[in-house]
Amino acid sequence: MSPDPEASPNQEPAQPVQSAQQNQPDKGGIPIPENGSAPAWGVAFITTFTTVFLAELGDKTQLAALLLSAQSGKPGVVFLGASLALICSSLVGVLLGRWLSKLMPPQQLERLAGILMVALGLWLGRQAVVALAPESLPLT
Amino acid sequence: MDLALLASTFVTVFLAELGDKTQLAIVTISGTSSRPGAVFAGSSAALVLASLLGAAAGGSLSAVIPTNALQLAASVGFLVIGLRLIQRSSTSAEAGDEAET
Repeated sequence: MSPDPEASPNQEPAQPVQSAQQNQPDKGGIPIPENGSAPAWGVAFITTFTTVFLAELGDKTQLAALLLSAQSGKPGVVFLGASLALICSSLVGVLLGRWLSKLMPPQQLERLAGILMVALGLWLGRQAVVALAPESLPLT
Repeated sequence: MDLALLASTFVTVFLAELGDKTQLAIVTISGTSSRPGAVFAGSSAALVLASLLGAAAGGSLSAVIPTNALQLAASVGFLVIGLRLIQRSSTSAEAGDEAET
């Protein structure tokens, strides 16, 4: 990413803020940033659940699970294996996010995360629109 | 219990999921949220439910659920979360600038 002229003055003052956060008591080694507008547990849960569930339906992982399930005739075992794999991968994702939030000033991370989410949304939306109406669009 | 099938499912799904858009979404949500436990619980529950539907439907899922419409809804959700994060980062940048001066 090219250096943002607006963001660059904030880089240096961001360092003392980060070290001040490290002085806060840790909970199991994961520093939880004290945010004035921290959402409630349920809000974070529902936001994540909805986003991930909608994004995951019709995804290639599901198609792989479908294929294995249909081939083997043992949907229970396929479900167990797929669930364990997905829980592990979401744990990896959560830990990666925590690690990034320790590495970068929160404001910069929020901007990067926002850009990434918008890009994913546009890509996903384009795919869905192309699949829904293939003929009416010159995109393909 | 068919351990070979269990292992092959695990490896296939885990590798397919690494670096996937779902995992990127989880990384962004957990990195910018102060509730990693809630994010982990929410994403795990959603993924388990999605794979339950996948295993139960066994190939006829797209006939039952309009997956493309759901993907469109998900893309709107991604856009909303992304724009809110960008907005929040720019407003906190302004607040930080005001605090410095």
